[in-house]
Amino acid sequence: MVVLREGMCPGLSEELVGALRTADITTVEDLVSSDTEDLAQKCSVSYKALLAVRRVLLAQHTAFPVSGADLYEDLLSSTAILSTGSSRLDKLLDSGLYTGELTELAGGPGSGKTQVCFAVTVHISYQLKQSVIYIDTTGGMSASRLLQMLQVKMCKMEEQMEALQRIQVCRVFDIFSLLSCLHDLRCAGLQQMGGGSVKAVIVDSASAVISPILGGKQNEGMSLMMQLAGVLKTIAKDFNVAVLVTNSVTRDGNGHLKAGLGLSWSHVPRTRVILERLQDPGLTCSSLRTATLAKSSRQPCHLNEEFDLQGWGRNEDQLHKVAGKRKLENIHTS
Amino acid sequence: MTTTTTKVTENGAQLFARLEGRRSLRDIEAHIFPDGAGPLQGNVVEFHGIEGSGKTETLFHLVTRCILPADRGGLEVEVMYVDTDYHFDMLRLVTVLEPRLGEEAKEEEGVAAAESEERVRACLGRLSLVHCSSSVQLLLTLHYLENTFCCRPALCLLVIDSISAFYWVDRSGGGESLAKQEANLKKCSELLERLLRDYGVVVFATTHAIMRNYGQSGHADAAAMTPKQPESSSSFSSSWRNLSSSHASEFDKAYLSRAWQKIVTHRVLFSKGEVTQDKRQMFSAACTTTKTIGVKRSSFCVTEAGVRFL
Repeated sequence: MVVLREGMCPGLSEELVGALRTADITTVEDLVSSDTEDLAQKCSVSYKALLAVRRVLLAQHTAFPVSGADLYEDLLSSTAILSTGSSRLDKLLDSGLYTGELTELAGGPGSGKTQVCFAVTVHISYQLKQSVIYIDTTGGMSASRLLQMLQVKMCKMEEQMEALQRIQVCRVFDIFSLLSCLHDLRCAGLQQMGGGSVKAVIVDSASAVISPILGGKQNEGMSLMMQLAGVLKTIAKDFNVAVLVTNSVTRDGNGHLKAGLGLSWSHVPRTRVILERLQDPGLTCSSLRTATLAKSSRQPCHLNEEFDLQGWGRNEDQLHKVAGKRKLENIHTS
Repeated sequence: MTTTTTKVTENGAQLFARLEGRRSLRDIEAHIFPDGAGPLQGNVVEFHGIEGSGKTETLFHLVTRCILPADRGGLEVEVMYVDTDYHFDMLRLVTVLEPRLGEEAKEEEGVAAAESEERVRACLGRLSLVHCSSSVQLLLTLHYLENTFCCRPALCLLVIDSISAFYWVDRSGGGESLAKQEANLKKCSELLERLLRDYGVVVFATTHAIMRNYGQSGHADAAAMTPKQPESSSSFSSSWRNLSSSHASEFDKAYLSRAWQKIVTHRVLFSKGEVTQDKRQMFSAACTTTKTIGVKRSSFCVTEAGVRFL
């Protein structure tokens, strides 16, 4: 709803707004939807003036179509694929997180969502030298863990500090502060002091702020959830950044894992990966996780990869052997 | 009075667009639509399904068919794609498009990569894309597009992916009154109705299945229909659309404004099928229309090069 106010556009004077109000026209939608000629007669205002105002208001408030060829050109030059740092996860995501898209990591407690977010953050800020905005809604953000991950990479102290400076952390604990935080970021043009353009926005976790407002017969919670989805998607597209959110999981009727937050949210992410801890009693190493592609427009779904949280980006070949063998076993048993 | 003023301001191209009429998309995809009942000028096709049931992928398939040149088996018409979900993946569309464009180019071998790139661009030139982030913006954009429809007679297809994107935000924004909650969608539908009548475009729109039909399965089907149509006293009959319910009744609930439901002429219900042994996901589509009796079912799988019907 866009309420008509005087001075919104040239020609929309106080008298005109007043005259329109007598005909029950108070918003731009009303004005645009009604027949201009009838309206001019009803309010006894100039038809030409009203037509001009309508045209300007339309131009101000519509989205403009772009030619597909131009868009393709733009995309080829501007889309970046941000490697996550893990070759297995990259393989699943068709080489990484795409800018302009919303990607979701779903998984139960301890399935490694936050650790993956940390690892991706560190990889983007240190290896790719790009800035990251990390929105923490659970209080799980730990700077010392980030530093620890950087130290593993054996770089110099200054480089570590530089990398940490490229990570901007926002702490919010409810949906309203999250929405206002995103709004502020958007108004500031997603710039940040550390230099370098922001390439990724990470929200860990989306479900922590959304699930408390859902339930019952009220619509407000659903509305807020979809508003959040809208803001995240527009940020991804307008600033050409990769957006990564985390979500909880539930089980469907057949006992399979599926992402939480219900049917409406299920349509929101463009790519969804479900993380799971490996349930293998014979295995002592507990940092092994499996990632399953649950939604993608580029790769077939149900692709499955195993990765090691501890050795993010290292020893992956070694793991590959183990994983390859285990995968075979899985097929036999299932 | 109104007619005289519009006619005076009409230029040659507009007159042509109005008189000549647009191409119908009757033959767009024989697998999905029943024989001879493909979408004609002024028809509205609704694609309904849960997340990941192949709606957007099918749209890509159909859009590709529209923008491909006639000598490559396409319809060579222009398409306006309104993306409210922000799910439009141009790179994916090009992936689907390229193999269909280049089938013969491979035999010739001599065709330079630049030339095939040029052909892709020519196809994409027939596609226009617009993103909308609120129902108000959608309404105003549709008003703005009226002029575009008027000037471009080759523009035959309007895709809205999806029309239900702002459902919850509008529900909450309208307060207690159902009329206010649905106001924008109602206005959009009324405007579309007029655009369809005046310009003869075809509309493809997706709707998300976000409501579960509680108490479904078999005999409860008829019972589930009652809450679906709370004001079924009107003359509008919805029986045709329920034909496909037996297919995937659990998520079939039509929840959008009645003004929208009134203009829908074809309804395609998507559902996920089983996963085959080679881990390939199967999908199925069930189409019902106002003009035909029965359900046209089709099943497909999604490959690297797009939708493949079985």
